Amino acid sequence: MAQSIAIDTTFWGARVLGVAAVERELTRLRRAVIAHALEQRLVAARASVLNLIVYAEREVHARRAAKSISELALRHPSRAIVVLADRGAREDVEARIEMHCHLPAADNATQVSYEQILVRARGDSRQRVASAVIPLLVPDLPVFLWWTGAPPVGGPPFGDLLGVADRLIVDSSDFARPDLALPSIARICSQARGLFGLTDLNWTRLTPWREMVTSFFDVPAWRPFLETTTGVRVGFAVDMDGRDIHPSQALLFIGWLASRLGWRRVDELAPSEAGGLLFAIARADGARVMVRVRPRFERGLEEGDVSGIRVQAERDGQRAEFVVKRQPDERHQTSTVLIDGRTRWERTVPLPSPAIVELIGEELAILGSDRTYEEALAALVRLS
Amino acid sequence: MIFGGSGDLAMRKLMPALYNLALQRLLPAAFCVVGTARRPLSDAAYREELRLAVSQHSRTKPLNEEVWRSFAENLHFVATSDDRGYGKLRETLDRLDHELGTHANRLFYLATPPPAYASIVRAIGEHRLRGDTGWARVVIEKPFGHDRESARELTEILHTVFREDEVFRIDHYLGKETVQNILVMRFANGIFEPIWNRQYVDHVQITVAETIGVEERAGYYEQAGAMRDVVQNHLLQLLALVAMEPPAAFDDKAVRDEKVKVLRVLRPITGDDVRMNAVRGQYGRGFIEGVAVNAYREEPGVARDSRTETYVALKCWVDNWRWEGTPFYMRTGKRLPKRSTEIAIQFRAAPHQLFSREASEGLEPNALVLRIQPNEGISLKFGAKVPVQGIRIRSVNMDFDYGASFMVEAPDAYETLILDALRGDATLFTRRDEVDQQWAFVDPIMEAWGASPTDPPIYEAGTWGPIEAHVLIERDGREWRKA
Ligand SMILES: NC(=O)c1ccc[n+]([C@@H]2O[C@H](COP(=O)([O-])OP(=O)(O)OC[C@H]3O[C@@H](n4cnc5c(N)ncnc54)[C@H](OP(=O)(O)O)[C@@H]3O)[C@@H](O)[C@H]2O)c1
Repeated sequence: MAQSIAIDTTFWGARVLGVAAVERELTRLRRAVIAHALEQRLVAARASVLNLIVYAEREVHARRAAKSISELALRHPSRAIVVLADRGAREDVEARIEMHCHLPAADNATQVSYEQILVRARGDSRQRVASAVIPLLVPDLPVFLWWTGAPPVGGPPFGDLLGVADRLIVDSSDFARPDLALPSIARICSQARGLFGLTDLNWTRLTPWREMVTSFFDVPAWRPFLETTTGVRVGFAVDMDGRDIHPSQALLFIGWLASRLGWRRVDELAPSEAGGLLFAIARADGARVMVRVRPRFERGLEEGDVSGIRVQAERDGQRAEFVVKRQPDERHQTSTVLIDGRTRWERTVPLPSPAIVELIGEELAILGSDRTYEEALAALVRLS
Repeated sequence: MIFGGSGDLAMRKLMPALYNLALQRLLPAAFCVVGTARRPLSDAAYREELRLAVSQHSRTKPLNEEVWRSFAENLHFVATSDDRGYGKLRETLDRLDHELGTHANRLFYLATPPPAYASIVRAIGEHRLRGDTGWARVVIEKPFGHDRESARELTEILHTVFREDEVFRIDHYLGKETVQNILVMRFANGIFEPIWNRQYVDHVQITVAETIGVEERAGYYEQAGAMRDVVQNHLLQLLALVAMEPPAAFDDKAVRDEKVKVLRVLRPITGDDVRMNAVRGQYGRGFIEGVAVNAYREEPGVARDSRTETYVALKCWVDNWRWEGTPFYMRTGKRLPKRSTEIAIQFRAAPHQLFSREASEGLEPNALVLRIQPNEGISLKFGAKVPVQGIRIRSVNMDFDYGASFMVEAPDAYETLILDALRGDATLFTRRDEVDQQWAFVDPIMEAWGASPTDPPIYEAGTWGPIEAHVLIERDGREWRKA
């Protein structure tokens, strides 16, 4: 007998049979909220600005995503369709689709701003998932597809769902094999032109680091050093026993520098200690830049998060180092400029919360594509 | 009087509608229903069958026993397989008139398969079923003919017994609340009329999408196809309502006069135009709501090499001053991803983009969408600033959900239409000249397809029709809405 995970109906709502029944049930629930609001002489409305499809292969991921979205509902009223595809299409499980729905309303909410539907696909349902999801989309609203895990290269249901999406959201920190997944994201990007935008939450996590590094070179005195970079070191967090290596974020940083500064690939590439990487890149003027990407154990950091960046440069006999570090309290970042080993300047700023809710919230406000990311990714793929 | 009183339509639609009218106290005090068909049934057996059907199909549940009992007392059945049967029917009607004092006011509802219409109408005449004192009206189900010629013949036959103002050709779409709302919205709101024209409207899209396949109706559908089943009546009626000029009054004459004017200036699609402006398709295998479904040609009762179209897309022009240069795109099909009937008025983009390209990325031109089913309502999409720093504009939907706003269930289309017929209001029924124009538009396209040596393109069930349909609209730099 095929074992099946029981679905927690207090979280996902009651099971309903088919798309029409989902709509009927949501309408019924909506009316109840509105009737309640009218009784209290409050204005009730249904607002929605987007459809969000979440694709997950594990219930924990699905649940975490659903929670994040519900927290965002007031800023981004939405209908979320969470697809939970039972992993490993087993032959003894009949392929079929089940649906659950409800309105997880905040207490005293008079607005219906979040509708949640679970589409549970069991057995080998790849071919049929999209046909259950697409009719559930609210017409006329943009569709965001949040794919947890590394997206496959094509085929159903990824291709089908991407076909209706205006924006694809991935998180490259979850990719088990960034060496394979990042190039495939780059390929998706290059096909996306104009059809849909792409967001990597990991890129969003990198934003405060990019901002700090950029701010060094806004200073006229230091700007020339950028062209004479000789080395870049990026540290990223790993767990205590150094098993889970997720260098995507660190690599994206390198890709970003390369795309901005026109760095090119040089053949030699040496694996470095403990899962790190050591390699050389050619600057625009042909000189070498040594790049080191290193895993480090640091308490309190999510695996894969950048923990520190050091950019080294030489010019007119001066040795400069530009350093950005995360403070041990995790909530601050310090940037330091050293000239010939002596600290010339230092400042500490708050580090924005890396919570997924914040990251997603930021991304949902954007519809267009992010050229900078696409270029960084493309440069990274060219380097490897 | 319901001819075909034991049929599917009577059981699923007509009787539940009548019962709900009774429930809302909308039926006349003296009222009875006589059902007829060829196969005999006792009154008791008929009532029992209807009781089951109504409990199952009524939009209000559960069955109100009190109301049902008194409603059922006035249900009768008479078999009419031959002249004796019609004689008996006449006697029954006279007797009931006498008992109930109904003045021989009679509504004849033709709910049999269309081939039976002619003989029934003749029998109504020969057996003088009209009665001598009261009014008589005939409601006739779709399809009304299968081309212009046969529709004219049918009208001729009807006119041997009924005057045109006594003929109520039903198009149940017109009974839907939201369809009537089209007129209310257009003409009762000052804000829409000034922008309801070529100057502001880029194009209009009308969609009638079904997820179901041919089901048990293969016998009928093989002969009809999507063009006759949906385009000829529902789609063209919706088009007429959207495009028509304001009627002088909201009465049956003025409204239908204006509709027929639109149908008259609908540019015909003939000869070579057919290839450019009309697309057909037939569904293949695929998935609907997660379930694997058969191809049309695998359905029971369908020929293995059937060329019947289950999908039609058209690009139409209404050749008048108001709509010059604004195309109307229409599509309908079975086994599409989603059940949805809607009319979308796509407005032109604002002439000057005030905001930078980046700020307005994600901003689509305003669209007004009239949703007819499911979730009857109206939504308006417009630009709004995203609540973050700086100016970023995003399309937002305002949603007017019919049910949620009024907290009532909209009546079923058949309730509205039967009540109108009983009251003699023909506004929502199709007049002879409208039907004639509708067929005049459809016939040349059907002829061209009939003469074509190729099969209709196959589309995968669960998709929005064949590639050709996308080409039809994308050629113009537009695209079908994700309905
Ligand atoms: N079903 C729908 O949802 C639907 C929707 C829109 C329009 N329509 C239209 O409504 C009409 C009826 O459809 P339906 O689906 O109800 O068909 P149906 O289920 O086949 O019923 C036909 C009815 O007519 C009777 N009948 C057949 N031939 C007759 C004849 N020569 N004289 C007298 N009675 C006869 C049948 O009973 P006996 O065989 O015992 O005579 C039966 O009661 C058709 O014109 C159809 O296009 C139906």
